[in-house]
Amino acid sequence: MNHDAARDDFESGLKPLWLRAQAGDEAAYREALRRIAVRLRSYLRRRMQSLPDDLEDLVQETLLALHLQRGTHDPALPVSSWVLAIARHKLVDLWRRRGRQEALHDPLDELEDHAMPVAAEEGSARRDLGQLLQELPEAQRRAIVLTKIEGLSVAEAAQRTGASESAIKVQVHRGLKRLAAKVKEEST
Amino acid sequence: MKTESLIDMLARQAGPAPRAMAARRLTPAVAGGLVLAVAGALAWIGPIPAELYADPGPWIKFGYAGLLAAAALWWVARLGRPAAPVAAPARVAGGVVVAMLLLGAAALLSVPGDERMDTLMGHSWLSCPVSVLVLSLPTLAGAFWALRGLAPTRLRLAGFAAGVLAGAVGAFSYALSCDELAPSFVAVWYTGGIGAAGLLGALLGPRLLRW
Repeated sequence: MNHDAARDDFESGLKPLWLRAQAGDEAAYREALRRIAVRLRSYLRRRMQSLPDDLEDLVQETLLALHLQRGTHDPALPVSSWVLAIARHKLVDLWRRRGRQEALHDPLDELEDHAMPVAAEEGSARRDLGQLLQELPEAQRRAIVLTKIEGLSVAEAAQRTGASESAIKVQVHRGLKRLAAKVKEEST
Repeated sequence: MKTESLIDMLARQAGPAPRAMAARRLTPAVAGGLVLAVAGALAWIGPIPAELYADPGPWIKFGYAGLLAAAALWWVARLGRPAAPVAAPARVAGGVVVAMLLLGAAALLSVPGDERMDTLMGHSWLSCPVSVLVLSLPTLAGAFWALRGLAPTRLRLAGFAAGVLAGAVGAFSYALSCDELAPSFVAVWYTGGIGAAGLLGALLGPRLLRW
């Protein structure tokens, strides 16, 4: 299989899922993120041979960034280009944080990317997002736990906490942003 | 937390993706920057006499700064979205600047040789770029705020485009207070002020736009 065909396969499978996810389909979003995670792992593994222990952490950091920035995807553009542009940005940022200037000269292009055996299995993350979640301000942590982990609806979460529904949504969004910022601080 | 659990968490009740994020951030940024710069120019330097508007001079400035601001706005909006193509807006912005330089050069050549230097330098060649740069600062702050809510992956270029946008808005506002009429003056000194704002943006981009 040549590169273009592999990329087209990935894109053509992902795009319809992604468009449904963007419109609010939760199951499609979960499946799209799963496929993206597998793709990210193989993309990053190849470029992080000197930092193998950071691989799963960077996969998680990138997924969090994709979620927070999902409004910046233009439906006219391939999802995979958007995903990989963000992954590359996160990778360069990690190198910069590690002071590995010479790493910036590593080949970052797409050459032979698809020649790599796809390693779908999940490695272990060194950083525990669950732990970082506990460190968020209480209102944000509670809104995330209730709606995103226990699976309560926003209305139920609002009832449970006495906050308004829009306040719950804002707390969830701010909490995830804060979580992403903590992830960055930690890996510095 | 396992990646699988993270994915579950992100997807659960995620709702639809926010729409038109670039427009929602950039519109208030540019509108606010323009209002502050216009108010600043009028309060700080004062308006030019109304009869000057009979000359093409001010209109050339408005046209130049307005077109450049529109192209730069398009450019910044593209740079805020990962993987979006940015060549077209960059070419349009560059084309507007080149057209102004050509217009300035043509106008300068039509002036007698011994007056060219005075025409080019006017009486305010030093204060003009400084004023444009100062008047660009509100928009620069706004454009950086807008980009921080988006996802720029080319930070220096995004900072530069934000600076050009801010510089063009600053130049547009300064035209309300600037009584120089020669197109060659506009081509050199307005462009100089806009370029300075662009360089400032390029300098700040990698520091302030990281995410």
